[in-house]
Amino acid sequence: MFVNLSKLDLKETCSSADKGAPKLCLRALPGEGAERSCAFDGARVVLMPITDAAHLVHSPIACAGNSWDNRGARSSGSQLFRRGFTTDLKEQDIIYGGEKKLFQAILEIAAKHRPQAIFVYSSCVAALIGDDLEKTCARAQEQLTIPVIPVNAPGFLGDKNIGNRIAGDVLANRVIGTKDPEAPKVPLSINLIGEYNIAGDLWGVLPDLQNLGIRLQSAITGDARFADVQSAHRASLNVLVCSKSLTNLVRTMERRWQIPYINASFYGIRDTSQALQDIAAALGDPALIERTKFYIKKREAVIRQAIAQYRERLEGKTAILFTGGVKTWSMVSTLAELGINILAGGTQNSTPEDFLRMKELMDPTAQIIEDTSSAGFLDIIATKKPDLIVAGGKTKYLAHKTRTPFLDINHGRKLPYAGYEGMITFAQAVDRTVFSPVWELLARPFPSLEATR
Amino acid sequence: MSVPAMDITNWIDSPEYKELNFARKDLVINPAKACQPLGALICALGFEGCLPFVHGSQGCTAYFRNSLSRHYREPVGAVSDSMTEEAAVFGGQANLIEGLKNAYTLYKPGLMAVFTTCMAEVIGDDIKAYVDNARKQKAIPEDFPLALAHTPSFKGSHITGYDNMLKGFLEGLAAPRRHATHLRLYVVPGFDTYPGNLREYKRLLSLLGVTYTLLPDYSDVVDAPNTGEFKMYPGGTPLAELQEALNASGYLFLQTYSTSATLKYIKNVQKIPTETVPMPIGVTSTDKFLMTVSQMAGKSIPAELENERGRAVDAATDAHPYIHGKRFALFGDPDLLYGLTSFLLEMGGVPVHIISTNGSAAFAKEMEELLSSSPYGQEASVHLGKDLWHLRSLLLTEPVDMLIGDSHGKFAARDAGIPLVRIGFPITDRVNLHRYPIVGYAGVLNLITMIANAFLEEKDRTSADAYFELLR
Repeated sequence: MFVNLSKLDLKETCSSADKGAPKLCLRALPGEGAERSCAFDGARVVLMPITDAAHLVHSPIACAGNSWDNRGARSSGSQLFRRGFTTDLKEQDIIYGGEKKLFQAILEIAAKHRPQAIFVYSSCVAALIGDDLEKTCARAQEQLTIPVIPVNAPGFLGDKNIGNRIAGDVLANRVIGTKDPEAPKVPLSINLIGEYNIAGDLWGVLPDLQNLGIRLQSAITGDARFADVQSAHRASLNVLVCSKSLTNLVRTMERRWQIPYINASFYGIRDTSQALQDIAAALGDPALIERTKFYIKKREAVIRQAIAQYRERLEGKTAILFTGGVKTWSMVSTLAELGINILAGGTQNSTPEDFLRMKELMDPTAQIIEDTSSAGFLDIIATKKPDLIVAGGKTKYLAHKTRTPFLDINHGRKLPYAGYEGMITFAQAVDRTVFSPVWELLARPFPSLEATR
Repeated sequence: MSVPAMDITNWIDSPEYKELNFARKDLVINPAKACQPLGALICALGFEGCLPFVHGSQGCTAYFRNSLSRHYREPVGAVSDSMTEEAAVFGGQANLIEGLKNAYTLYKPGLMAVFTTCMAEVIGDDIKAYVDNARKQKAIPEDFPLALAHTPSFKGSHITGYDNMLKGFLEGLAAPRRHATHLRLYVVPGFDTYPGNLREYKRLLSLLGVTYTLLPDYSDVVDAPNTGEFKMYPGGTPLAELQEALNASGYLFLQTYSTSATLKYIKNVQKIPTETVPMPIGVTSTDKFLMTVSQMAGKSIPAELENERGRAVDAATDAHPYIHGKRFALFGDPDLLYGLTSFLLEMGGVPVHIISTNGSAAFAKEMEELLSSSPYGQEASVHLGKDLWHLRSLLLTEPVDMLIGDSHGKFAARDAGIPLVRIGFPITDRVNLHRYPIVGYAGVLNLITMIANAFLEEKDRTSADAYFELLR
C-alpha cells in the first residue's frame, strides 16, 4: 500500500552533520511549526508544468481545493495543466473505496478535455483506504490511447524532496524515452532539469541558448509539452538547474540513455556565464566553446552596464537569504553582484551539496540559520537588522511586520529572474523594495502631543 | 457521445457540452470550496493567545498557512504534529503528545485549538484520549486550555470545519451555564473572511451601546497594525469571555449555514435565548440586524445610524441605473450568496446563475423563497454541489453581464469576456478588499461602488470613440 521509504535511498543525503544543513532524512519535529509542504506537493510541483497533460488529484477536497493553480509556472501553449481536476473523495468513498470513481474520472477527462496524458496523484487518504492507483490507471489505460500515469506520492511520506524524487522516477520510468526510443541523439541539444518556468524564468534563458546554437530538447518540467519530455532521451546533455529535486533523474538518465549531466545555475551574471561555458564545454563542440567565450563577454558588458545604476545605490547593503535548491548558493553570488553582503543564510529544501556551496560562498562571518521556525527567523532579523530579506512567500509578511524590505525568490514571485535579462529584472526588483519610501513612512513616529510641544 | 476528434476549443463553449458537463458525476473541476481544517483554523485565530494545532499531515498545514497568507497578506501562525507513514500505521498519539509539548514550549500560547486533517480521521485517532494522556504525561500543564474538533475534509467544507471548531471551543472551554446570567450579548459572525466586516459589526454594536462579545473575532490577528514588531498573538476574543460564553444574556448569529451545529448547541442544548439573522448585506438585512440587536439588548438605534442609512440609500439611488436590469452570476459560500442576492434584488440586479458548491437543500429552499419574492429573482437558478467548470458552461451558454465571486472565478470570467467583482475567499490577486466591509450600511456603499464602477470601467475600456464620454 505504501511506497517504501527505504527504497528511495535517502540515506545518501544524510551525510552532512553541519548545523543548519537541510534535514533530508529526519522527520519534521511535531509542533515545531508547519513551514514545509508534503511529498504530494513535491511530486505535483515537478510534473504539473507538463502543460498539455491533465493532472488529476485522487483525494478529498483538501489537496486540490486549497491549491489548484497555486504556482507561478507559466505556459506558452496549453493551459490545461492549470485546470483543477480532483475526485473530491467523500465519506462514502472512504468507506467503500474510491477506485470506481477514479476510473470514471480518468475516462471523463480523456473524453472531454483532450489531454496528451493524464497524471493521477495519490494522496494520504487514497493510500490509507487502500485504493490501488496502479491497477486503476492500468484498467483505464486499456480503454484509452493516451498514457495514464500513476504518481504514488501520498503526503505522509514526508517532505517535498521525497515527492520530487518520486516524480523523477515517474518521468524516468513512464515518460522519457517512450517516443522514438531508438532515435539518435540530437547534436548540441540539452535538457534543462528542474527548470519549472516560474514567472517565465525559462524564457529569460532561451534566447541566449538560441543565440549560441544550443537546442533545448526539453525543460523538465517548465513550459513542457508531453511529447517533448517523451523525447528527452535524445538530448546530448542534461543540465541540472535545481539539484535538490531531480538528482535521481539525471543519474538514471545517465545510466539508461548515456546522457552526461552538469550542475548549473542561471541566476546572476557570473553563474549564467559559467552555466553557458560549462554547457559548451560539456557538449564538447570547439566552435561552440569559442563562440560562447565571446558571447558571454559581450552579454556581461551589456548587463553590467544596465545594472550599474542599481549596484551603485545598493552597494554595501546587507541581506538575509533563505531559500531552496540551487538558489541556496547562486543567490549569494547574485546578490554580491549588486554589492549586497549576506549576513545570514539558510535553507530547508536543498541538498547538502547546495548547502556546503552556500557556506563556501558566504563571508566567514555570515551566520548559518539553524532554527528555521518563525521564531528562529524573528531572532535573526532582530539581531542582524538586514536591509533586505530574500526568501519565499511564507516569510514575506513576517518581514513586513518587522519593517524589513523583502524579495520573494520562490514560486510566489511574479517576475522572471533567470538568465542575463533576468538579472536586470532582479536588480530592479531589489531596488524597488529596498528604496521604497514606505520604510521611511513606517519609521516615522505617531504625531503625539508630546512631539509637538 | 459525439466528441469532435481534435480541437475542442469551441466545443467546450457549446450548449451541447454544457449538457455533458452537467451530467458529470465522478470528477470535480476547479473546485470552489476548501476543506474543514482550513475553516477550523480561521475560527481558532479568533481567540486571544490561541495557537491553531493541526493533528495530521504537515503538508496540509503548510497549504492552509499559504492560502491564508495570500488572502490576508499577513503572517498566519499554525503548527502541525507532522504525522507520517509511521503514525499512519500506529496512530498519531505519539505525534500529538510530542507536538503539544513542543508547541507549548516554543510558542507559549494561552490556549490551543486541536483539529484534524483527513489522515488522522481515516485511521480513527481519538484525539480526546490522546490529549488526556498528554496532560497525564505533563506534555502540557494539567489545566492548560485546549479546544478540540474533528474536522475530516471528506465531509462538508471549510464552513463545516469552522462550525465544528467553534462548537469545540464552547464545549471544551466554556463554564457551565449558571442560573443568573450576565447582560452580555454574544454575537457570532460565522465564517467571514473580511476583518473589515468584523470591525464594522463592532462599530455598529458600540454605536448601539450594547455590551457584547464577538465570538470569535480574528480582526486584529489577520489585520494587525504595523508596529515594527511581529506579535504572535495580536488580539482576539479573550479566553475569559469564552469561558463565560454559556452565561450570555443571548446569542445573535449573523450567519446560518456556517454555524448550524453551534447554533443547535446554544439554542437547543444550552437553551440560551438565540436569534439568527441573515448576513447583513444590503439595506434590508442590515435593518433587520440592527432591529434584532436593538430588541435583544433593549437599546434604541441612534440617529447617527439613521443618517448613515440615509447616505447609503442615497448612493443606491445615484447608482441604480448602472445596476438595475444587469444580469449576474454568483458563486461562493451559502451565507454570503444569500446576502449578495438579497442586495442585488434591492438594486434591481438580476441574479441568473447562483453556484454554491457547499450549499445544502435548506439553503436552496431559502434562496428559492428569496428569489421568488422579487420580480428580479425570476430568472435565477441555484446550483448546489457544482464547481467552477459548471459555472463556465453556464456563463458561455447563457451569458450574463458580471460574475461575482472569489479570485478563482477569473478564468471563467475571462473566457466569458465579463468583469469579475471579487467578493469571497480567497482573494489573492487584488489588494485590501478584505479590509472593506461588505456588511452594514457601509457595506452597501462599498458593494455599490465596486459593482457600478466595474461596469463603468468596462464601458470606458470597450467603447468606441463616438461613445467615449466624460459623463457616465
